[in-house]
Amino acid sequence: MTVSNEDLIARRSGDLIRVTAPRLHFITEKSLQRLHDGSIVPFDFQFSIAAGTRSNVIERAFERFTVSYDVWEERFSVVRLRDFRKSASNLSANAAESWCLENILARTPALPADRQLWARLEVRSAEPKEPSSSPYADPGISITTLIGIFSRPPRPAQDHWSLESSAFHLSDLKP
Amino acid sequence: MRFALLQILATAALLAQSADPGDSDPNINSRYTVESIGFTGQSHYRLSSGAMEEMHRLIGAKVSTEALTRLARRIRSELRATEVTFKLARGGEPNHVRVLLEVDKRKSNFDLSIPTFSYNSRQGWTGVAEASTTVGANTLTVGALSDGDTLAERFTGFKLKYDRLALKTDRIRLGFEYDSYHELYDRATLIALDNTPPSSLGAGAYRSRTDFEPSATFILAKPLTLTVGLSFEQMQPQVSAAHSESANAVVNTLRYHQRWEDSDANNQELDAGYNLRAATRSLGSDLAYTRHMINARYALRHEHQSVEVTLVAGVIYGHAPLFERFVLGNSSTLRGWNKYDLDPLGGNRVVHGSVTYGYHIMRVFYDTGSVWDQGKSPEAKHSAGIGISSGLGIFHKGAFLLAVAFPIRQGRADPVFIAGMNF
Repeated sequence: MTVSNEDLIARRSGDLIRVTAPRLHFITEKSLQRLHDGSIVPFDFQFSIAAGTRSNVIERAFERFTVSYDVWEERFSVVRLRDFRKSASNLSANAAESWCLENILARTPALPADRQLWARLEVRSAEPKEPSSSPYADPGISITTLIGIFSRPPRPAQDHWSLESSAFHLSDLKP
Repeated sequence: MRFALLQILATAALLAQSADPGDSDPNINSRYTVESIGFTGQSHYRLSSGAMEEMHRLIGAKVSTEALTRLARRIRSELRATEVTFKLARGGEPNHVRVLLEVDKRKSNFDLSIPTFSYNSRQGWTGVAEASTTVGANTLTVGALSDGDTLAERFTGFKLKYDRLALKTDRIRLGFEYDSYHELYDRATLIALDNTPPSSLGAGAYRSRTDFEPSATFILAKPLTLTVGLSFEQMQPQVSAAHSESANAVVNTLRYHQRWEDSDANNQELDAGYNLRAATRSLGSDLAYTRHMINARYALRHEHQSVEVTLVAGVIYGHAPLFERFVLGNSSTLRGWNKYDLDPLGGNRVVHGSVTYGYHIMRVFYDTGSVWDQGKSPEAKHSAGIGISSGLGIFHKGAFLLAVAFPIRQGRADPVFIAGMNF
């Protein structure tokens, strides 16, 4: 699924860039059903920034967020698996999605101030049968694993989303 | 002082927040307690005792995605299912959840197993192979076996069984079994038969027998079940000119099977049963007899140690055929003794007890018992043995046992080697 470029907005926060995507909803359909059944659903994120041309990627960030749904409180919880202990709970579905986006970041020092930039975000739900979808198989999932995941096209049964921002300059970004 | 207290409380709150949803499980539901584990819908499955134990261990514990995933994989392997997934649903009490396992058997509902495979250095091999297929609540099982261990005779043949696992309610099950066996006798048994007056046995040696056994099982109150049925057994004599004999009986079995796990991780299991087979002329039987048998098994396991105690007692009134008579001195009773040395025809009275102690995979056991005929004095025999036993991880169900057993008697030590597998 691809969302139009107005739907990915880059923001600057000190030496970091984060994105917002008000119209992106990935806790839906099959994933939502699995969550309502008490399962965990991992989502893999790739955030990249290209300079000069859209294909010239100069900065990338990868994260896996594991979402679960409290069957008693009927609220969502998210854990960032890279450091494994950054988490948030008691969230609505929208708030859980926003929390994931807030916690995937790119660094600005590596970005040229004088060239056009594009931000791109890819989100994939981990497949239920995929061995790496069990966070226990690889609790502190490595960047290498995530690079491997995003180096392959998504499988037909896998939910995936791709968003790209309009061109911008570093100096244009609002805090 | 008040500031310090507030600081401690704030720190504790922060720690609690950071610990939520759990330090090892990213599932927020890991803070809830498992109330029960079952299957979705009206599905019924036969699981190994190991899988059942694993399920019982998880009940009462906090939800662990890792443990539930492991259980689902084990069940998938045992049932040869395409996929087994679990769902969590609110329990009957606050902060408790029910675990519902969903089995997807779209591509496979066929199961091939070897429920028994054993070797006794005195009595040879015994093996049972079964293939079963389940469609909804209907299971059809076909088995082939050669058993030289459990009876006074070796019987070889096949069994065919249909089970209806639920009849409107899952508290009632129906079964229809047809068995056909060819018999082989040890030389000691044939000599004993020649020296025994025909009137003292219900039937002499027979070359084959067939059995048709319809039954119904009622779950009276879990875990107490009652099975009632009929057994129509037909025996073909060794001499083809002689007429066949029948042993048509009413069969009743009352069984209690319960497992517990307490807060100290002690696993306990009690399996007790009473079996009655009453052959009567009102069912067209040539033989009339009543066979009563009780058995009980209690097992206690704590961490790497285990103790198991088994008791068996039985009595036969009337003249029962050889296949009904009690036997000791095989791979599970009076291990180390040769059943043909104890009583080549079996007896119509039996008492047996066994204690097994286990530490990790090591096993040490002591058996005692006696088999005799009415009017004779029972003579207690004893045996002891040592071996190893363990589950087979690659098969996920069952276990193997390798043991050396010694009959305890004066004069000489004559060990018996026993190997057994149970898949």
